[in-house]
Amino acid sequence: MRATVEQGGASRATSELRLPALPSELRLAREYAHRAAAAFGFDAERCHEVAFAVNEAATNAIRHGRPDEHGHIHLSAVSDGDRLTLTVRDYGTFVASAAGAAPSPEGGRGFALMAGLMDTVQLCVSPGSTTVRLSKARV
Amino acid sequence: MGFFYISDDASVEGWERSDDIAMLVAGGDIDYDASPQLRERLADQIHSGARRLVLDLSKVTFIDSTAIGVLVGAVMRLHEEGGGSLAVVCAEENRRVLRIFEIAGLDSMIAVHRTREEALLELTTAG
Repeated sequence: MRATVEQGGASRATSELRLPALPSELRLAREYAHRAAAAFGFDAERCHEVAFAVNEAATNAIRHGRPDEHGHIHLSAVSDGDRLTLTVRDYGTFVASAAGAAPSPEGGRGFALMAGLMDTVQLCVSPGSTTVRLSKARV
Repeated sequence: MGFFYISDDASVEGWERSDDIAMLVAGGDIDYDASPQLRERLADQIHSGARRLVLDLSKVTFIDSTAIGVLVGAVMRLHEEGGGSLAVVCAEENRRVLRIFEIAGLDSMIAVHRTREEALLELTTAG
């Protein structure tokens, strides 16, 4: 695991975490998201919501995506003014069924849950990478 | 892995064990790493003949969509085996887990009770 923090100005702070693409690492993804949300000033409940949403995105990246050449997925947190944005990136090309609008009885709830807990959920797909952006604003 | 446990060493005052009813208690974080254990334990109970399952999740600190999928899968398995019920228990105090159930719409698929007694009563009176 490697984490770096760069300060990019008074209103903007960024941190990054490269995480081995293994189910056993999901706890670290949750802890990272929780810390970022707490540092942003969210209360305990909102920190949990952010951690839950990031866990879902990281789970999708590990289950359905591909890691980078070092076996990692990439997480980042950017606080910009009143908005905190967490991103989860893998290096596979997204296949639509992973976020299917009509979930199978046992799966497919991840995106709906992320949307229920965050203000915005964006899926950015390009050849060779898939990024989920999860944003929440200070009320 | 985060901390997770599941046990069938559970009881309710006045409840006598039977082959047909199984009670499981889980706690800690149920994520994609832990959900296979939950799936196995539920499948083991169904394989052993239990058709009415109570799963107490009151001590669960985190639950994700894969775990919810496991619960729905267990209900499907019971239907395939000729019928049965899964009743989930989550104490009123565990608002975080209850909120996830609410967003996932779990209540429309699986009965969620606040106590084991309430779940058992529902399962035994429903036949």
